[in-house]
Amino acid sequence: MATSPVDPLLKQLTGPNTRSLLRVIILLTIAAAAVSSRLFSVIRFESIIHEFDPWFNFRATKYLVQNGFYSFWDWFDDRTWHPLGRVTGGTLYPGLMVTSGIIYHVLRFLTFPVDIRNICVLLAPGFSGLTAFATYLLTNEMVTSPSAGLLAAAFMGITPGYISRSVAGSYDNEAIAIFLLVFTFFLWIKAVKLGSVFWGALTALFYGYMVSAWGGYVFITNLLPLHAFVLICMGRYSPRLYVSYTSWYALGTLASMQIPFVGFLPIRSSEHMSALGVFGLLQIVGFVEFVRNQLPSRQFQTLLRALVLVIFAVSFGGLVLLTVSGVIAPWTGRFYSLWDTGYAKIHIPIIASVSEHQPTAWPAFFFDLSMMIWLFPAGVYMCFRKLTDEQVFIVIYAVLASYFAGVMVRLMLTLTPIVCVASAIAFSQILDTYMSIDSPTPEVQANGTPASASVAAASAMLPDGLRSTRNPIVGIYSYTSKLTVVAASTVYLMLFVMHCTWVTSNAYSSPSVVLASRLPDGSQHIIDDYREAYYWLRQNTPENAKIMSWWDYGYQIGGMADRPTLVDNNTWNNTHIATVGKAMSSREEVSYPIMRQHEVDYVLVVFGGLLGYSGDDINKFLWMVRIAEGIWPDEVKERNFFTARGEYRVDDEATPTMKNSLMYKMSYYNYNALFPAGQAQDRVRNTRLPAEGPQLTTIEEAFTSENWIIRIYKVKDLDNFGRDHGSAVAFDKGNKKKRAHKRKGARTLRVE
Amino acid sequence: MRWLLLLTASLLPFTAIAAKKAPKDRYQDFRTKSLSSTPLKLDDASYTKLTQAPRDYAVVVLLTALETRFGCVLCREFQPEWELLAKSWTNGDKKGESRVFFGTLDFAEGRNTFQSLQLQTAPVILMFNPTTGANAKVDAQPSRFDFTAGPQSAESIHAWVSRHLPEGPKPAVSRPINYFKIVSVTTAILGLITLVTVTAPYIVPLLQNRNLWAAFSLIAVLLFTSGHMFNHIRKVPYVSGDGKGGISYFAGGFSNQFGMETQIIAAIYGVLSFATISLALKVPRISDPKAQSLAVFLWSGVIFGMYSFLMSVFRMKNGGYPFFLPPF
Amino acid sequence: MRSIALLTSCLIALSSLCAAELNLTQSLSSKQILPANFKPPQVFKNVNLVRTTNLDKEYPREVINVIIENIDSKPQSEYYLPFESSLLSRVGGLEVKDKKAAGKLPFKVEVVEYDSYSSTQFYLIHLPEPLQPKAQQTLSISFSVLSALTPVPATINQMDNQYVQYTFSAYSPSAYTTEKQKTKVKFPTANIPDYSVLDAPNADNTEDPQKQGSTFTYGPYANIPAGAEELVSARYEFTKPLTHATLLERDIEVSHWGGNLATEERFWLTNRAATLANQFSRVSWQMTQYSNPPTSALKGLAMPLRIGSLNPYFIDDIGNVSTSRFRSNAREANLELKPRYPIFGGWKYSFRVGWDADLKNYLRKLKTGDTYVLKVPFLEGPRQPEGVEYARVELKIVLPEGATNIHHETSVPLVASEATIHRTFMDTIGRSTLHLTAINLVDEWRDRDIVVTYDYPWTAGFRKPIVIFSALMGLFTVVYVIGSFDVSIGKKKTA
Repeated sequence: MATSPVDPLLKQLTGPNTRSLLRVIILLTIAAAAVSSRLFSVIRFESIIHEFDPWFNFRATKYLVQNGFYSFWDWFDDRTWHPLGRVTGGTLYPGLMVTSGIIYHVLRFLTFPVDIRNICVLLAPGFSGLTAFATYLLTNEMVTSPSAGLLAAAFMGITPGYISRSVAGSYDNEAIAIFLLVFTFFLWIKAVKLGSVFWGALTALFYGYMVSAWGGYVFITNLLPLHAFVLICMGRYSPRLYVSYTSWYALGTLASMQIPFVGFLPIRSSEHMSALGVFGLLQIVGFVEFVRNQLPSRQFQTLLRALVLVIFAVSFGGLVLLTVSGVIAPWTGRFYSLWDTGYAKIHIPIIASVSEHQPTAWPAFFFDLSMMIWLFPAGVYMCFRKLTDEQVFIVIYAVLASYFAGVMVRLMLTLTPIVCVASAIAFSQILDTYMSIDSPTPEVQANGTPASASVAAASAMLPDGLRSTRNPIVGIYSYTSKLTVVAASTVYLMLFVMHCTWVTSNAYSSPSVVLASRLPDGSQHIIDDYREAYYWLRQNTPENAKIMSWWDYGYQIGGMADRPTLVDNNTWNNTHIATVGKAMSSREEVSYPIMRQHEVDYVLVVFGGLLGYSGDDINKFLWMVRIAEGIWPDEVKERNFFTARGEYRVDDEATPTMKNSLMYKMSYYNYNALFPAGQAQDRVRNTRLPAEGPQLTTIEEAFTSENWIIRIYKVKDLDNFGRDHGSAVAFDKGNKKKRAHKRKGARTLRVE
Repeated sequence: MRWLLLLTASLLPFTAIAAKKAPKDRYQDFRTKSLSSTPLKLDDASYTKLTQAPRDYAVVVLLTALETRFGCVLCREFQPEWELLAKSWTNGDKKGESRVFFGTLDFAEGRNTFQSLQLQTAPVILMFNPTTGANAKVDAQPSRFDFTAGPQSAESIHAWVSRHLPEGPKPAVSRPINYFKIVSVTTAILGLITLVTVTAPYIVPLLQNRNLWAAFSLIAVLLFTSGHMFNHIRKVPYVSGDGKGGISYFAGGFSNQFGMETQIIAAIYGVLSFATISLALKVPRISDPKAQSLAVFLWSGVIFGMYSFLMSVFRMKNGGYPFFLPPF
Repeated sequence: MRSIALLTSCLIALSSLCAAELNLTQSLSSKQILPANFKPPQVFKNVNLVRTTNLDKEYPREVINVIIENIDSKPQSEYYLPFESSLLSRVGGLEVKDKKAAGKLPFKVEVVEYDSYSSTQFYLIHLPEPLQPKAQQTLSISFSVLSALTPVPATINQMDNQYVQYTFSAYSPSAYTTEKQKTKVKFPTANIPDYSVLDAPNADNTEDPQKQGSTFTYGPYANIPAGAEELVSARYEFTKPLTHATLLERDIEVSHWGGNLATEERFWLTNRAATLANQFSRVSWQMTQYSNPPTSALKGLAMPLRIGSLNPYFIDDIGNVSTSRFRSNAREANLELKPRYPIFGGWKYSFRVGWDADLKNYLRKLKTGDTYVLKVPFLEGPRQPEGVEYARVELKIVLPEGATNIHHETSVPLVASEATIHRTFMDTIGRSTLHLTAINLVDEWRDRDIVVTYDYPWTAGFRKPIVIFSALMGLFTVVYVIGSFDVSIGKKKTA
């Protein structure tokens, strides 16, 4: 990073070859920095796939590598969503798996005995290097200053906002998608500048790749048309725009329709309609321009303009009509909840329950972007100096992306590239200004900073340039001021680097599968309960034993335990998830038939009470209840899980419904045997548990991991004597019956 | 279970009266009442009378606390919806085939009932199914609707009610068409169009003014990046008092914030970027060396101070953040 | 069926025992198919036979010391040893020596096959020099029987003691008349709830068996006819895991460039102990962790590696297992493995361990020519007090690229050995590799070595750098040539 300010310095002294060589070296160092800053988790733990979704991608990749492309393409997975199964080949974005599959086969061709897991683990860091390079290209298209690109690349390489999704092991679609995003934008800008079909086609190609890689492609699908539309509104229509847009749209749409998961969405769903509309608009405008060039009569032109407006209005109305009549699918929930921010909370609890769909508080912005968060607006402002087509793009992108990032934490990812570009522009502007060796002498007023020409052009182009750029550039006189600014900015850069490293190592480098704790002597102690339990399942249960757990763990069970699951993180079937939620939140007598119907052999719960591991199922329990209540409002009631005072408790005060729910029982079964009588402590909820622990009748404890984080229960078979399990167990225990005792709350009116 | 006991207990005094009246004409006079005004405004006495078994009709009662001193926002929000539902239902079957009554019992009138039901939250909807007659339910236990999912619309309650009702006519909720709104909207649109057309020559240059757009987009960016959407979605308080009577501008914790806080942050960002812009664009255009170096030092100082303040604020939000800049 | 397959493999194995190099044809020719009505010729008689069965490990170790006498008129050199066929497929490492000359190499032994449906099969022992008529010789036959102990009862509680049952014949199996014989059984414990008592009093009219502490003696018996059998069984306490490796794959890779010997072992373990009557209870397990009583669960494995072994790893299908310790110093290199979970009866656990070692401790270059001699242990793996048994061991020795003229020699009975090519790390012609397979081994065989000799000319070491270099040069030239074409249509735009 520190090297990039050196670049313009050398510029004056050295020839172009040395400079380009230097640039290559710098880019390589940046790439190296980007890759190595993502390896914390590998060094601290091991080369392992991180939290949840990556495990599915990893499994899919293994399937692809073993069974070849075509069987992957129509892969029906009967080991998830039992008994429904999932048409996996048609419901995923294959780009990621195919990419790593290709890498794998190339390496195998060179007879490198590389494990597919390591490819998957290191894919994201590898691509982050490419992303830095793409950012460099994109920025170079934006401004003339050579240092801006390098700065942007450096920023992009190490900014936590991007690292958060691309550390080694987080093998998720975003790993390659961000590179594709930036590179597609670069190609688009290139195409708009040159107006060449070639670049347009390239844009379409990478757009297609992007579509195959990530659902976020919709962002591109709407941003490029918006850019074109704004350009038209600014009266910037040009054959270049026409050529590039049409070639992109035609080819890109065709490319995107090749992905089974996308299929005919590009012409059926509202997310893609803006692109189509702008396409139509461009045709009209193009036609009008053509006619205008032919016959210069003014009335006719006004007529034409009217015509354009009318056609546009009509087609827009038609679009709305189609949407209303249902020919065009309305917006999908996830996408819709971006605009109507209250929508998800009410209608789609599953979406609302995911943490990365929450809105973003300002500390998160600063956490992920640090210094750039305030350089960003400055950079955007500078784009207004001479508002070239590509700089218009920056402005639009900036505003849109910052809105999205504000609504959803996860979309911080799409904001990061433009933040890097913009702040690099601002920063390099300062550096270029204050690091030029030659100072102006008061009489010689004109000195060649690239900005001056542009300002002249700008002010010539339209009467009111930016107020800050009216009078011409003189340059910086005193060295002290130069030194001050340069020193300050060096300090800021250093601070930025330290911030990024700190954030990465502390926040974004733990593979949530393996937990680490510090022993009193400061050494690292690894808590490996997840894998302990998963491996036990893998080794000691029948190949087709069905595992029921909350959907968070579906992918991990599929990947590590290699056993069929009922629900997993691909939440395509709300009812099925609600069924599991109901089974978890009902009494045993209710849930047992459900589990029998779904051929459940084992039930897996996560319990952090012993270790104080807060991300356990009791804390997620309310979501299960809510989702179940959404389907069976009469049988599952969230209200019954709150005490009369409206508190959510697990101790003596807990409501009977809570105490009798399967989840509660499974979590605390046998737990108080660890403690002296009546001393049982839940270290997450920080409460003392009832003296008498829950009894289980229809299921029995099969395995519990070392720190009790994972507990696995076996669903009993039907009783041999045809008794119901309750009486059977009671008989075995010598008719010892448990009774749930009610408590009476104080009588005070609490109003909501 | 147990509050049914208490309920019956509290009924005892009334059984005497009730015994005299057969359910039939009890239905009749409530019927007439309801036709005149529905939902019925109940108090303890009429409530017990209405909900007393045996009854050959269904009763849906909203127990609420409308008076402002209870500060039950939800109750007041829901009240119009409730009335809408009751009215449209009663108008729906004039002949009263569904045999359903809608009643409202305010805490002010129904204190005893609230206590006998051990209600500690409001509003709550209780639904009593008929105990006798054609479509009687076996359990006299009223089914209860809690507003755990936040404010409800008339339609959702209607769905709930008709789910619990036996088969029979279930008149749908008919919202009255708001003509005033339509008219006002259309006029507004037309007025807007005319306004645009008239003032076009003045507006168009304004629209083409670059500074305006720059200002607009900068403000938007600053708003969003300072977490305004979070306030909008989570409806966070503007400020909150700390324990000691003062005001705490910054919410504790990494992932929550106050409205005021975000504005302060936005201001900091704004100042910082403005200083950057001036350093980058304005300063090199100052032709007087003295003024220029002064400006340089001024703006660098501003940036430095602001940034250090920003970091100190961030340390406040995120304990354990190791970095800082003097002076803060 | 399976026993037959194993039988044939045993055949090849024992024959290839003496085959010093990879010429299987010669050894296969020595296999002899006998007529279906085969009876071993009654040319010997066992003058005195003492059999010792040692039960202190999880696999019984039998030692039969027998004085044989040639009762035929002409010299004989073929002594037959009968086995019940299901037993024969589980007999491991049968060795026959001359009791008088224990230092000598073991005799040549092979499995002879005739009617494969018969219940009795024979080992054929070739005496090195034919035994003259009326002459006597003392043989010492030793072997161990795998998966011979069966837990009775088959399911126990988590804390209970485990009892195992061993069933054998009181009369030592023999194809000849035995004048005098007895069977000593050494138990690991004195806690022997029940054992079969023979009512027929033995030769010196004492009760049968006789007990001294934890040692039982069946017999002596006089004049037992050929093939006579008297099944007896004993049930004794054995609260230890019955660790049974269904398969062990062991790779040894020699790298001359790195001067490194990389070893990797992949285990498929299972515990043959009594299964849990109820499900596993973590509470009671944690209770017992402070005072660790004997248990039938496998808690950990201790692997004493050769001194000087470096950076070991212990992983399984889903990544690194963090619960292992490696203590390495000048005197020892102990790798202590702890599985992710305690392995109770019927549970499985498969994992892989690997380590490096300095090559010069294992490889030696002959004075003459480019011939190298590699001497590595055939079997390493864990050493447990109760022992570990391996149903099948597959050893793979990867020699450097370009090694030729490969010979191997080992005292471990092999069932198969073949040479293949293994390509890795940008090999061009690939590395010559030995695949050796042995069955029914036990952990006592850890210290048996295998010696591999091969030729490796120094030029072979430089093949790879040259190849890679030339490939890259070719690539660059191609790129340069292509880049120099101008494929643009019309006049070039300036980007």
